[in-house]
Amino acid sequence: MSADHSTRHEELLPAYALGAVDGEDLREMESHLATGCAECRRQLDLWQGDLEELAASVEPVIPSETARRRVQRLAGAASPARSRGSRWPAILAAASLLVAVWSGWRQARLGEEMERLGAERDRLARQVSGLDQQLGLARAEADRMAESLAIITSPGSRAIVLAGLGPSPNAKGHTFVNPERGKAVFYAFDLPALTPDKTYQLWWIEGGKPVSAGVFKVDERGTGSVQVERAPRGATDAWAVTVEPAGGVPQPTGEMVLKG
Amino acid sequence: MLDSWAARGLSGFPSMDQRTSLNETDLLRRIATGDGDALSRVFELHSPVVLGLLVRMLGGRAEAEEVLQEVFLQVWMQADRYEESRSSPRGWILMLARSRALDRLRRRMSQQRREDEVAAEEGVAVRPVGTARLEAAEQRNRVGTALGVLSPEQRHCIELAFFEGLTHTQIAERLKAPLGTVKSRILLGMNKLRQALSTS
Repeated sequence: MSADHSTRHEELLPAYALGAVDGEDLREMESHLATGCAECRRQLDLWQGDLEELAASVEPVIPSETARRRVQRLAGAASPARSRGSRWPAILAAASLLVAVWSGWRQARLGEEMERLGAERDRLARQVSGLDQQLGLARAEADRMAESLAIITSPGSRAIVLAGLGPSPNAKGHTFVNPERGKAVFYAFDLPALTPDKTYQLWWIEGGKPVSAGVFKVDERGTGSVQVERAPRGATDAWAVTVEPAGGVPQPTGEMVLKG
Repeated sequence: MLDSWAARGLSGFPSMDQRTSLNETDLLRRIATGDGDALSRVFELHSPVVLGLLVRMLGGRAEAEEVLQEVFLQVWMQADRYEESRSSPRGWILMLARSRALDRLRRRMSQQRREDEVAAEEGVAVRPVGTARLEAAEQRNRVGTALGVLSPEQRHCIELAFFEGLTHTQIAERLKAPLGTVKSRILLGMNKLRQALSTS
């Protein structure tokens, strides 16, 4: 027993045998054992003995034929009756078992690595697909903006201002018509959002008859737009916006909210 | 191990266990001289309990079988290091196996994938980790009987330390229990286990 042996060391020993001691306790225990305390060594062996019995208390599992064969191959090659004094067959068998064990381990690690890389590849593919989609939308929006700009800035384009009516007196609209290209672009501002079963529909009125120019929804700021691909090349009586059932109608049926 | 039994007042005529242990000690000595038949014999004697321990610790049959082969390769190469005065042959082999399984568990923990390492390759059901395994053991052997005197909390702490290689601090974190409580559960549990083993 070393001079600094104490009951505290004895209390730490069971957990130390289990490998559960950590931190300051571990440093203290190891530094004490390093003094060569015979009593602690003796008790540690006793605790190890108990743990060996605990280990042996598990339910046995019969090894597979593969594992049995590999170990028997090692044993067969090692047998003095077969080796006649030479340990080479045993060394070769040990090496082959080692390689088999290592290969199995390596294969398992490679399998996991491939699985991880596969998952990473799928994640990146999804990301690329998402970015492609965003890029497509951005390109379409840029094309649309370029087209709108071309209509607005072309010589000969004319602007019609639409004023709010009825339930949305503060709303406004601007239609830019390019008669030469037969195209128009419309922007609405400060219109209230509609329920999903309703839509805004833009019309022009020609010879007293309304012609649909397209439907649109507004964003949270009340802004919406329509690009008219086949706009009237000649003069129109007016432009107007009505509230219609979702999808639009051939002839206006709802309340007019903008006109100009 | 023989010394430890002697220390518990079991010395005198060799018991059946001691005689078995003496024979097995002889087998390990023969392995150390390169006797393959002795290795085969030791494998036949102990591989089921060693594999049982590895499956219990690692959870997956395939990985446990890999480690089983590593363990017996180690027995073959290091049988000369066995010290009869410190443990029984079976205890020595089981502790080699535990040490290798703990290495695997630590590697697994460091790679953050300790949860998904289950592979039941040849149709042997892997029992869930938990007290059910020890309850089954209770009916089989004296260790099981000894474990029966522990409180469920003491058993759980000892299981986490022994089969999963967790330290006091890690057990406290896992169970969300105060560190001092975990330390005293292990100390009291181990003492109860010792007492029950020596009287059974």
